[in-house]
Amino acid sequence: MGFSTLLDIIGSMIIGGILLSITMRLNDAATEKTYNNSGELSLQQNLAVVAQILENDFRKIGYCSDWNKFPDPSKAIVFADTSRIIYLTDIDSDSNMDSIHYYLGPTSELSSTPNPRDRLLYRVLNNEAPLSSNLGVTQFKLVYFDAIGDTIPPPITAAGIITSIEINLSVESVAAYDEKYSSAFWRQIRLVARNLRNR
Amino acid sequence: MSGKATLLLIVGFSIIFLIVSRNFGDVSNRAVDNFINYHKETVAHDLAVSGANIAANQIFMDPTWDDGFDDVPFQNGTMDISVQILDAFKNIRQITSHGTYQGYTHTAKVVLAPSKFSKFAYYSVSEGGTIWWTGSDTVWGPFHTQDYLRAHKHPVFFGKATTKRSTIYYTNEKTDKPYFYGGYEQGVNLPLPTTAVDDMEAIADDAGFKLSGHDTVYITFDRDSLRYRFSYNAKNTVVYLPAAAPNGLIFAKDCVVRLNGVVKGQYTLGCSSIMSAGKGTIYLDNDIVFDKDPRIYPTSNDLLGICAENNVLITNNLANQSDINIHGSVYCEKGGFGAEKYDTRPISGNINLLGGIIQNTRKAVGTFGTSGIKTGFAKRYKYDDRLMVASPPFFPGTGGFEIVSWYE
Repeated sequence: MGFSTLLDIIGSMIIGGILLSITMRLNDAATEKTYNNSGELSLQQNLAVVAQILENDFRKIGYCSDWNKFPDPSKAIVFADTSRIIYLTDIDSDSNMDSIHYYLGPTSELSSTPNPRDRLLYRVLNNEAPLSSNLGVTQFKLVYFDAIGDTIPPPITAAGIITSIEINLSVESVAAYDEKYSSAFWRQIRLVARNLRNR
Repeated sequence: MSGKATLLLIVGFSIIFLIVSRNFGDVSNRAVDNFINYHKETVAHDLAVSGANIAANQIFMDPTWDDGFDDVPFQNGTMDISVQILDAFKNIRQITSHGTYQGYTHTAKVVLAPSKFSKFAYYSVSEGGTIWWTGSDTVWGPFHTQDYLRAHKHPVFFGKATTKRSTIYYTNEKTDKPYFYGGYEQGVNLPLPTTAVDDMEAIADDAGFKLSGHDTVYITFDRDSLRYRFSYNAKNTVVYLPAAAPNGLIFAKDCVVRLNGVVKGQYTLGCSSIMSAGKGTIYLDNDIVFDKDPRIYPTSNDLLGICAENNVLITNNLANQSDINIHGSVYCEKGGFGAEKYDTRPISGNINLLGGIIQNTRKAVGTFGTSGIKTGFAKRYKYDDRLMVASPPFFPGTGGFEIVSWYE
């Protein structure tokens, strides 16, 4: 009886231990998956939002609701570089030209986040303070093309010859379980701002 | 007892697994929804832009078209297109195109304005035989020729270049291909009107200033006044232009005009010919310039159209032997822009043109050899950027529209 009871207790402890171990592993795996999946959802939402904002803004390069006020839209791009662009547009359709400036900040600005590669993508309207929020952007790369479709190599000294732009955007989750960062990539192969060449 | 515990354990784990898997499934669904929504918005945008393009094409084919389209099904969505006339006098039209796809709607608005020949930096029907555009030639604004574009050693075209016929290379494409920084399109047929200058007479009769009944008219723009006489030694008559030509059109019927002066305001000078090829020609006796040069005064509103039924020629006289400055858009309906006696006159410096040249047949302004200019002028043509949107009053139109603003 005593030996049998002892065997029961030992057996129960082994089975209970296995179950406990499974439960703990399950908890760990569930936490990891929840963290990563939620992070991935958040990152994909961020990517879609940034893509929509960029498309909305870039398609308006050279636009003015009163077209007489901006006679030559080919002069709309003021400065163009691989990760920075300044251009003119009437963003709020009030017939007054606004300047929009997009640029990518340094990684050191987001040293507080676990992801060492994320940066702030800034949008500056006229002379207002730069606006940004941490959406996990790790790459914002622009490639410019002329009217024939040839790539314009940087540095771009004559921005007036730009007729289309390739936009590359990568985002990563700003924090991840066990440093397994999720990433997503979006590319607008040829964004044509119609006003650049409408006359 | 142990059976119940096992059952509870299984049920408990099942519930946990169900909750976790539902959570995972929900996250996955939301991630997919996110991109489906982006896709729907993109399709709605593409539908709106497609509708705008279709409507613009209709207007290019038929400038009077304003019917629009109602809820045309396309790519599992619909396009709803309307055309509004924003300004009946200036004939400014707007296409509004709504693209709808699965609950998402996007709108594109396109404004079209009548296209004027004055927007061209250079236009010709005939290139005058075998005149070549060379590596030292740069055209800064829109370019069109109904002829071949003959290229030698990479001429540069910064504006959009179009030709009805093709490009011919002096040697081969590698050594001669032009640099088209504003794009290039061939097969574009844009004929010059044949009665545009004659048609100005009725407009001048309405609210312009008309001169007729004389073989030659000497015209001097004196800012907002116009001095004119009918013979070289006669005394000038002076008129105040805003009162004499409130619509901005000055028309000289069936005569030769000898022109110079300083222009303040926006005017077009038309010169017609009824039968004689010698008439309908405008001679530039001296500089004809703006009161305020837009390169110095960017807000300058001064504009001038110099429209001859036949030719616009730089007079071979003393005043023009040391450069000539021309501000305005030159239009030659049946002839061309050139220099009188270009092959025998002395070396005369530069033609400093700010504006554009629209001509039927390209004409020469000088001759050159290996050592440079031998007779006549060197060309220094600069496009007046304001002509992209503004035109001198009643300057001949192409009969079609052009897109001036695109919102999407």
